[in-house]
Amino acid sequence: MHTAWMVFVKEMVDALRDRRTLMMVLISAVAVGPLMLAALSAVVSMMEERADAREVMAVGLDAAPTLSNFLVRQGYTVKTAPADYEKKLTDAKLGDPVLVVGPTFEAELVAGEMPRVTVVTATGNQRAQLGTRRLETLLTGFNQERGSLQLALRGVPVTLAQAVEVQSRDVASPQARAAQLTAMLPFFIIMAVIYGAMNAGLDVTAGERERGSLEPLLMNPAPRWALVLGKWGAVAMVGMAIAVLSSLSFLPGQWLMRSEELAALFQYGWREALAFLVLLLPLAGATAALLMAVAIRSKSFKEAQASATIALMAFTMTPLIGMLSPDGEQPWHVWVPGLAQYTLMGRVLRGEGVVPTDVAATVMAAVVVTAVSLVYVSRSLSRSAIK
Amino acid sequence: MIEVKQLSKAFTHGSGRKRQTVQAVADVNWRAEDGAITGLLGPNGAGKTTTLRMVAGLIAPDAGELLVDGISVRAQPMRALARLGVLSDARGLYPRLTARENIVYYGRLHGMTAAAASARADALAAVLDMQALLERRTEGFSQGERMKTALARALVHDPQNIILDEPTNGLDVLATRALREALRRLRDDSGKCVVFSTHIMQEVERLCDQVVVVAHGRTVAGGTVAELLASTGQRDFEEAFVQLAFDKEGA
Repeated sequence: MHTAWMVFVKEMVDALRDRRTLMMVLISAVAVGPLMLAALSAVVSMMEERADAREVMAVGLDAAPTLSNFLVRQGYTVKTAPADYEKKLTDAKLGDPVLVVGPTFEAELVAGEMPRVTVVTATGNQRAQLGTRRLETLLTGFNQERGSLQLALRGVPVTLAQAVEVQSRDVASPQARAAQLTAMLPFFIIMAVIYGAMNAGLDVTAGERERGSLEPLLMNPAPRWALVLGKWGAVAMVGMAIAVLSSLSFLPGQWLMRSEELAALFQYGWREALAFLVLLLPLAGATAALLMAVAIRSKSFKEAQASATIALMAFTMTPLIGMLSPDGEQPWHVWVPGLAQYTLMGRVLRGEGVVPTDVAATVMAAVVVTAVSLVYVSRSLSRSAIK
Repeated sequence: MIEVKQLSKAFTHGSGRKRQTVQAVADVNWRAEDGAITGLLGPNGAGKTTTLRMVAGLIAPDAGELLVDGISVRAQPMRALARLGVLSDARGLYPRLTARENIVYYGRLHGMTAAAASARADALAAVLDMQALLERRTEGFSQGERMKTALARALVHDPQNIILDEPTNGLDVLATRALREALRRLRDDSGKCVVFSTHIMQEVERLCDQVVVVAHGRTVAGGTVAELLASTGQRDFEEAFVQLAFDKEGA
């Protein structure tokens, strides 16, 4: 154990002196939380502004007082679209769909000839797309009002044309609604933890081998397991530091939120940060061990990087199973490292309780990955040293 | 004292039909005494490095016995390693650590205290004339400076037995001379058992008390330089060596 501690101290000193790499890793870990939150809140507040604006862009609405009157009664302001609206829509310079009304609209309407209006939008223009549904709903409302009026004038009950009244109700908790937006956060934290430990993990294995310092190291009277344990400790430490930093970075990150609604919905306090850590620390340990296992057989740092990238990609892709799973969360999800953390961190963000047995499962899975990897590394050490 | 008896080792490469077995060491025997410098002389690929790696416990031999001060390397590798200082073919240093930290790290792995290891680093630096290097990071060291640091690292625990695998590789004349001088002092001042492998005749002639000639994984001759010259009837040591090492090929 004394030997393992010596190795740990040396590897930590070594890793800490690699200033440039370390700074990059730590900065990205600290920045990931606030940046994500700032970006999200910018998107949400923009959507809110748009929803609050209640504006309709139109062409030729002067010739349609009935429709114009309807829109104003719904609380909308009518704005005249610029002449080159089509180009502006395709260039995404105009953020609203445009309602085009013909000059004969009013006359046709009175004559009962079903005048035509056009909603102009561009599929590539996301902001305009968002507004399209709202505009179409508005127009449907106009149709309904006109129809009901006509029926009522003729003494026909409205229920004849509309058999069912449809109303929708959202039962999601406010946190769950926010979690739709914040669902990506766990993914990015997991990425930061996994990739942050990469450099250190490869340096203590493939790097040691490439420098030619592995062979002399093994000629010391130190048990293999102690060497591996010390090295693993140092790499895991780097990963865990990143986990701590990125988990905590969300606490001040909340201040950056521009959208008050999102800030109110995104409940992230010390409790959540702690829950994140409980989930992330075992993952950091398992990643460190896995990285070492992948790298120990590589002849050079470069070769190790290539194989580590593939291994880590598999790791980071596991959350996709959760995102794309048609049946939702499955009990076995908590047993897959990466996916398990993603699933449970999502639950924390949604304000759902996390069951201790699920946490135990993620820890167990991480411990198994760590143990298997470390045994493999200590068995491979001698063979790697001489080739 | 290091004893190597009937050592053999074969490596297998590939699998299935491409399977190839190379007999790296077939029958190597030698004995290196305390207070003497023993040279392991052989052409490239003779099995010198493999033999020394087996002595250092890095590779398990297929057969044979390895004793360091009477301790079997196979049965008690940790105890044997504690009595060995090895400057191996690979002598990588940690570039982000200073020379002193590199040396002290190995001392700590040998169970020394930090203070003792550091004091030993100072003492070795005086012997190897490298005091100016101690506090510098090893990044950017020259070949000679690297060799000195690696040698100090291998000797930090003051081992009775010292193994050097082709130590003069890549060194200039001055560094080679300094190394030779250091080895002589280790032998004369503290009665160490020094073994070094080389394929350079001059080294052996100038330094070795005993010579073991290895070729094709076998010990083909042993003795002092004078004895080897006498046994082959040559006056030039290089001629003697060629005759001993390549004779079977009819060279």
